[in-house]
Amino acid sequence: MNTLEQLTQLIHDKFDIEKSSLQPDLPLSEYGLDSLALAELLFTIEEEFNVKFPDRPENIDTLKKLAVAIDELRASQPV
Amino acid sequence: MKRRVAITGIGLISPHGDTPDCVFDALLAGHSAVTLWDEGSAPPAAVARAPFDPARWFTRLQLAGVDRVSQIAVAAAQMAREDAGMDTLAPSTGVYVGTGMGGANAVEESFRSHYGSGRVPPLSVPAFMPNAPAAHVAMREKLHGPVYTYSIACASSAVALAEAAKAVAHGEMDCALAGGTEALLVPGAIRAWHALQTLARVDDEPWRACRPFSADRTGLVLGEGAAFLVLEAFDDALARGARIYAEFAGSGVSCDATHLTKPDATGQVKAITAALRNSGMAPGDITYCNAHGTATSIGDVVECAALERVWGDAIGNLAVSSTKSIHGHLLGAAGALEAVVTVLAIHRAAIPPNMHCREQDTQCGITLVREPGHFVPSINAAISNSFAFGGTNTTLVFKRAT
Repeated sequence: MNTLEQLTQLIHDKFDIEKSSLQPDLPLSEYGLDSLALAELLFTIEEEFNVKFPDRPENIDTLKKLAVAIDELRASQPV
Repeated sequence: MKRRVAITGIGLISPHGDTPDCVFDALLAGHSAVTLWDEGSAPPAAVARAPFDPARWFTRLQLAGVDRVSQIAVAAAQMAREDAGMDTLAPSTGVYVGTGMGGANAVEESFRSHYGSGRVPPLSVPAFMPNAPAAHVAMREKLHGPVYTYSIACASSAVALAEAAKAVAHGEMDCALAGGTEALLVPGAIRAWHALQTLARVDDEPWRACRPFSADRTGLVLGEGAAFLVLEAFDDALARGARIYAEFAGSGVSCDATHLTKPDATGQVKAITAALRNSGMAPGDITYCNAHGTATSIGDVVECAALERVWGDAIGNLAVSSTKSIHGHLLGAAGALEAVVTVLAIHRAAIPPNMHCREQDTQCGITLVREPGHFVPSINAAISNSFAFGGTNTTLVFKRAT
């Protein structure tokens, strides 16, 4: 599974959102994720992917951008 | 000019369930909802858990950052509105919520994380802030009137109800959604209550651990739940043909100002007499008292002394029970749940029993209703007492809707 697929699975598991409705380029707010839910999601991603986001990640508003950010963090923060 | 206030809706998430009539039937039958809590990380305790399925009320996405205390409040508030026969409430409706501790689960989790992984969940603050339940009720019901939270320990929701009724009576609003919520059955909170040496001793009969007014009582039993009522201007309720459970006749509030945890009969007498005066009633008009009766050694004696001072030689005519014996002490939600019990006692003309009192404490000179299924066709008015840590005393008065 690539990062995008893992992410899709995680969002489905955590928020019970249909996987088929989760599109890489759709704004996360389209699924009903507000700023609070996004904060919660980033926290969970940090646990699941073993990465650490900068304090206030900016411009992450789609699944694709989120997946790219995770991959970049993984590359720069070797476990 | 004060307006009359009607109670037209009841919503419950309680240890005895979420349907007012079924809850009252179980209480009237004397069924105890108290069970053993033994999760290993703290000493075992007798508690009254409220059955609740969040999935009925929230999607998983909606649950992000919403503590159990808010979840059950939203559910109970919605059921109160539906029970009042209303699809929506007027946007000007006020929300009055009592809670003792707020989001205890989120508090517990944030401290556990802090001392464990060091990673505290980002929504801890909005989850545990004490006014979160009221805010969630307002958002769910789309209410833009005053939204208030009262945190006055065991009197929290009794005061919330008293304030809501006053706002309706004085014409500040035509309708209020008022009640209380508490969900603190988590190891840290239970342990803190245990440390205060207030909890009932646990033996091999945990369901009868809470024994108010009994000579062998050993302390209180923590409970969880939420209870909400719809309060409306009486004439509005009549005009729309609503079922009126009872009239909210009045309330009285006082503070002992003597000791943080030790109750004081003089302060309680002030609240009771103020409540009777404000509702235009005399002691002889009151058939039933749903007592605060937590089953602590001092609390029960002091409450009886206060009642005896107000009722005098006629104390024997007042039927008293503490239903905490079977639903536990819901702390911030206690006043609202017991208001519901008192209102339904009038509506159903029956008094739920004070269970587990084999031998009444001789220092408690009151007429206890001890047998299940006690029907009282003549019941016209009743009071509910809530006496809080911090010294705040609240008495609510309800009467038959005529």
